[in-house]
Amino acid sequence: MRPASSGSGLTEGRDRDLDGLLALVARGDETAFASVYDQLSGPVYGLIRRVVRDPAQSEEVAQEVMLEVWRAATRFDSAKGSAATWVLTIAHRRAVDRVRSAAAAAEREKRTSVLLSAGDEVAEAVEASLERERVRRCLDGLTDLQRESITLAYYGGHSYREVAGLLGLTLGTIKTRIRDGLIRLRDCMGVT
Amino acid sequence: MRSLRANLHALTGAYAVDAIDDEAERARFEQHVRRCHDCTAELRGMADTATRLAFAAAQPAPPQLRDRVLAAVSRTRQLPPLAQGHRHAEAGRAAAGRPPIAWRPRVAWLIAAASVIAVIALTVALVQTSGQLDRARAQQARIAAVLAAPDARAVSQPTSAGGTATVVYSKSHGALVVTSAQLPPAPPGKVYELWLLGPPKVRPAGFLRPGRNGSSLPVLVRGLVRGDQLGVTVEPEGGTPKPTTTPILVLPLGV
Repeated sequence: MRPASSGSGLTEGRDRDLDGLLALVARGDETAFASVYDQLSGPVYGLIRRVVRDPAQSEEVAQEVMLEVWRAATRFDSAKGSAATWVLTIAHRRAVDRVRSAAAAAEREKRTSVLLSAGDEVAEAVEASLERERVRRCLDGLTDLQRESITLAYYGGHSYREVAGLLGLTLGTIKTRIRDGLIRLRDCMGVT
Repeated sequence: MRSLRANLHALTGAYAVDAIDDEAERARFEQHVRRCHDCTAELRGMADTATRLAFAAAQPAPPQLRDRVLAAVSRTRQLPPLAQGHRHAEAGRAAAGRPPIAWRPRVAWLIAAASVIAVIALTVALVQTSGQLDRARAQQARIAAVLAAPDARAVSQPTSAGGTATVVYSKSHGALVVTSAQLPPAPPGKVYELWLLGPPKVRPAGFLRPGRNGSSLPVLVRGLVRGDQLGVTVEPEGGTPKPTTTPILVLPLGV
């Protein structure tokens, strides 16, 4: 339906733009920051919602993350990775910190059951984008165990120990499934 | 040795998706990565892969968030770059006009934090009922979150009663964790009470209770406001609403 190569082409273009914008942000350029916000607030907020679930808390965490991007842009090093990855790594960490704080303990129980019963919720496109299609296809290409392990760890914010408990498997198995699954996803998505 | 390394290497995936919740294990892995060129490349590919997963989960952020973030940005100072000397210069500026405070950077506070973590493990080991256990675990998680915060800083200071108090403070969490080492037991019928000594108000902040090996159990203190100092006094068992004795410790927090 769509040319298979356009996904990674778009991704590369986006990464170059963002790297340049972040360099401006590092020099205190608030307009550049607004552009970074406009490009990344969707993935940042969406990812946090997946992990944290509660809309009000997610909004709070997203605000912390975006402010952290502003504050720490001076320390972003494009030689070590792309701007998008830098920002979304911060977002994921903050989201995980939030759910691992015990205030959310009860909520997590519920979330886990929702996540498990919803099954392959990743496949549910909220917006029809090529990226989403491609990610879904790549996730479909994993074994069930790889997909479940990665989904529970990344979108569920669970530690690999918790994933092992939830799936009733050994720590070693889960470690391996997450790693093998990510490598397979990486190759499928054409990440270099 | 080889199997240990292979074991560590298998953690790249879990690390890339923030799924290692054991601090010590994460530290061992990070140490391994510093000497493992393949790991660095592999982690980078995995981080980019995770980013694609994040993009696949994108949904529009609430419109009001944009205004709030941009307003916050216009009144928030950026961090100094990590180039040599800058960090110290910045720390100096931040401390100007305030009592000198020796906040140690993240690497150094890990050593202080290690003692706090040992005490947390003890807290969990000491409790009996499952209700207590749940509460202890909840508290442990909150404390661990402060210790693990990227902006966590630690400072230690001797008390006038003997021993040392250690504070790990995270601005982003608006919280700090207090513990002490080699603090002599409080006199019979007395306790060590913690205080937030603010310019507007003095608030009680919990008690330093003895743990094992001469450490006190860690106390989480929240609700910090600008200008707060941490104080410790000796008070009657049960505590008092206001300090009634001369503090054995006053620690400026640089908050």
